[in-house]
Amino acid sequence: MKRAAKPKPDAATRWKTTRRRFLIAAGSLGVLSIGGYFGLEAGRPLLVDRIEGGGAPSSPAPSNPNLWFEIKEGNIIFYAPKFEMGQGIQSALAQIAAEELEVDWQSLELRQPNSQHGFAPSFMFTFGSTSVKDLFKPIREMAASLREMLRTEAALQMGIDASSIDIKNGVCSLKTDSSKTLSYGAVVAAKKGEWVLPKTPPALKAKNQFTTIGKPLSRLDAKSKVTGQAVYSMDAQAKGMLFGAVARAPRFGAKLETARAGQAESQVGVVKVVLDVANNFAGVVAQTRTQARNALKFLELTWTGGTSISQAEIDTLVTAKAGSGVVIRNRGQSNLQGDVVTASYRTPFAAHAHLEPLAALANVKEKSIDVWVGTQAASSDESAIKKAVPGDRSIKIYPMQMGGSFGRKGSQTAAPEAARLSAAVGKPVHVAWTREEEMQQSFYRPPTNTLLQGTLENGTIKAIQQVTASGDILFSVIPIPAFIKNTIGFDFGVLSGQFLPYNIANYQVRNQRVDLPIPTGPWRGVGLMPNVFALECFMDELAVAAKTDPLEFRLKHTNNPRMKAVLEDVRTRSGWATQAPIGSARGVAYCTAVGTYVAMVVEIRLEGKQIIVERVTVSIDTGIVVSPSNAALQAKGSVVMGLSSTLLEKITIENGAVVQTNFKDYPLLTLKATPKTIEVHFMDSSEPPSGMGEPVIGPVPAAVANALFALNGQRLRELPLAL
Amino acid sequence: MNLTINNSSVPIPDEQRLEPLVWVLRDTLGLVGTRYGCGIGVCGACNVLMDGKVVRSCQTMTETAIGKTIITLEGLAVGDELHPVQQAFLENPLQCCWCMTGHIMNAVELLEANKQPSPEQIDDAMNDNYCRCGGYNTIRANVERASEIASLQPASKRLVIRRKT
Ligand code: FES
Ligand code: FES
Repeated sequence: MKRAAKPKPDAATRWKTTRRRFLIAAGSLGVLSIGGYFGLEAGRPLLVDRIEGGGAPSSPAPSNPNLWFEIKEGNIIFYAPKFEMGQGIQSALAQIAAEELEVDWQSLELRQPNSQHGFAPSFMFTFGSTSVKDLFKPIREMAASLREMLRTEAALQMGIDASSIDIKNGVCSLKTDSSKTLSYGAVVAAKKGEWVLPKTPPALKAKNQFTTIGKPLSRLDAKSKVTGQAVYSMDAQAKGMLFGAVARAPRFGAKLETARAGQAESQVGVVKVVLDVANNFAGVVAQTRTQARNALKFLELTWTGGTSISQAEIDTLVTAKAGSGVVIRNRGQSNLQGDVVTASYRTPFAAHAHLEPLAALANVKEKSIDVWVGTQAASSDESAIKKAVPGDRSIKIYPMQMGGSFGRKGSQTAAPEAARLSAAVGKPVHVAWTREEEMQQSFYRPPTNTLLQGTLENGTIKAIQQVTASGDILFSVIPIPAFIKNTIGFDFGVLSGQFLPYNIANYQVRNQRVDLPIPTGPWRGVGLMPNVFALECFMDELAVAAKTDPLEFRLKHTNNPRMKAVLEDVRTRSGWATQAPIGSARGVAYCTAVGTYVAMVVEIRLEGKQIIVERVTVSIDTGIVVSPSNAALQAKGSVVMGLSSTLLEKITIENGAVVQTNFKDYPLLTLKATPKTIEVHFMDSSEPPSGMGEPVIGPVPAAVANALFALNGQRLRELPLAL
Repeated sequence: MNLTINNSSVPIPDEQRLEPLVWVLRDTLGLVGTRYGCGIGVCGACNVLMDGKVVRSCQTMTETAIGKTIITLEGLAVGDELHPVQQAFLENPLQCCWCMTGHIMNAVELLEANKQPSPEQIDDAMNDNYCRCGGYNTIRANVERASEIASLQPASKRLVIRRKT
């Protein structure tokens, strides 16, 4: 019954670059491979462009592609450098690829990349809702070139002109006699000599020619998931593997002072106790996971230093003060005159609560380290592993399916922990975090406080001054020296959703960085949801002051056509102009994020002090929708996660440690509390696709808070909303 | 010590008697379709059927399963034929699906007892499992769909889970 996650050795493929930024595998008969190299700016494989220079003859590529197709008799394999954490990205990319390749999308065999194929893990990352947005064009270009190469070769093999060939479902057939066919596989199998790219890039289909993109297809990984065959990091197994558990500090920042194995060594099943005070590490390896965790309790450890900060002290630190911080936008006059509307909004620390905790399997050998781990950023894992296990070993990372992530698995430590323990015992070791560890030893969505002051003139906004105080988001994951952080003075992650997207003549925004002794970092949407909560509640407060309908008030302050369109659409679909059912009220909120426009109306009622969300209507413009079913799931899932944050979630700190321990004191939204009607509508668009993983979470808390105000006149300015 | 899991008798090392069943299933037997999410009985990711009733395998000592019939996600399909609940989740998948086993097991138990549950009954039965990806409305719809698929099955196969043989 064991499930082996063995590395599959791949024959080294020699890639050569071509004139047009693609790479073609050379010298492997019977296989046609074409790929590209995608760095941070996907779509512009700069490295290959540079190597090509002025059209020098093909030469062995100094680097390998990180996205490529392999066609051989019987199958087409598509390697795409994006990690699956539930967002359906692999299926969405297959939909894009199948379109220009002219194959049934289900016939594509999708593989997650791994570092064994030769490319550096530093280019393996998935974050910020960028996958579809960045790869939409390059994948289609590559697939179209591939198709044309196959057409040319098929024509050659059939002894006819390429223009006489039709291609459908991976089969080339003669236009005048459809009984004469050659499948892609057959064309590749019969090919002699090297492949060459078409001289000019083939034209790409227009939106109205799409047959696969935009169709509500299911997911390629569904079958393996319903039958329990899908392999996540917590499932990774290898022959002879052992299980590890790691001791945790009692408060953030504390260091191991002394460590003794004590009775741990003599506990049942214990293979080794690993103590490394200098590196702040104490762990146990045992035959079973339960034995390892049990033995941890018998270690004799003392800890020193660290923080003893309390929540009250943190709240004081995270206080936005007028005029403080760094000015990041300054438009028009910066002083306020006349009647000033002032409001201050707060959001708490929050946990990711991805349902599959961190886990990794590592196998450290004399010359190599193999690691199976669910990750959003393999590069940071690699450097962490290198640090944990010094020495000259080649590191190979096999990214696994993730049971949710929401930012958490962009910097995870299970991999270096497993590697450290594996190195100590010379066998594969699996480490999986407990929920308690996730709740108490993670990094968190940082607390924020936003101070907004605004004035009106003739019912429109005249001036706004905004100060956003926030703990770090990206500073904690990008290795930047402290002095540079201090010089810059604000964290880029906070920028997401930080600007009011409305026409405001006089607008000043300040960003006040709060350096907390509690680890904080990216959480779905980074700064988006806390920012939009403050901004969109404030828009409501201004609308009230201006005695204008809040949706009308928003429309009045924009002339962006896409923004107007989603606001108008949600107005119609939600029945905004009609009376809400008795005892209910509606609230609206809007945001733009990663190129996507989102307008939301929420309808709520009260049961005692409990907010019951009855209905959510969302209108979204995300450009061309590649995979409508996945996009809708992302949108609805964002609504649910947003409601959970709005109504329930809060991490608090006492004595430098997290108070909450598990889901019993950090509950998540359940099925019954989820509105039965979450209506998602995508605007028809021919614009290129933009991000869908994060934007929809933005407006949720503000829409609920605004609905509450409409219902009973109570203005709540702190999350979670508590009456 | 032997356990009856998915209709086979499986030996378990004696020293694992007092370990939570979830880890014995996952780590010792490789039945990783049973998930871990919290270890305290809240999230439901670890649900298995014990004598036809849903239990939290993180709250079940392995030895208490002796003499009982355990069905895990891997044991629901009969050969290639998916269980109606699996079929519904295949047609309409969730997202990361780490939670899915729990929902599937809950739905199997519900439909065993009540072939055509009302929306309220579905809500009651399915409320104690988390889905962080937020697929609750998909779950609601899938239980209704599974009930529909099951009702189309021949009467002889209406028993949706396999009993101890
Ligand atoms: S793992 Fe058993 S209920 Fe959560
Ligand atoms: S689908 Fe990810 S937790 Fe439910």
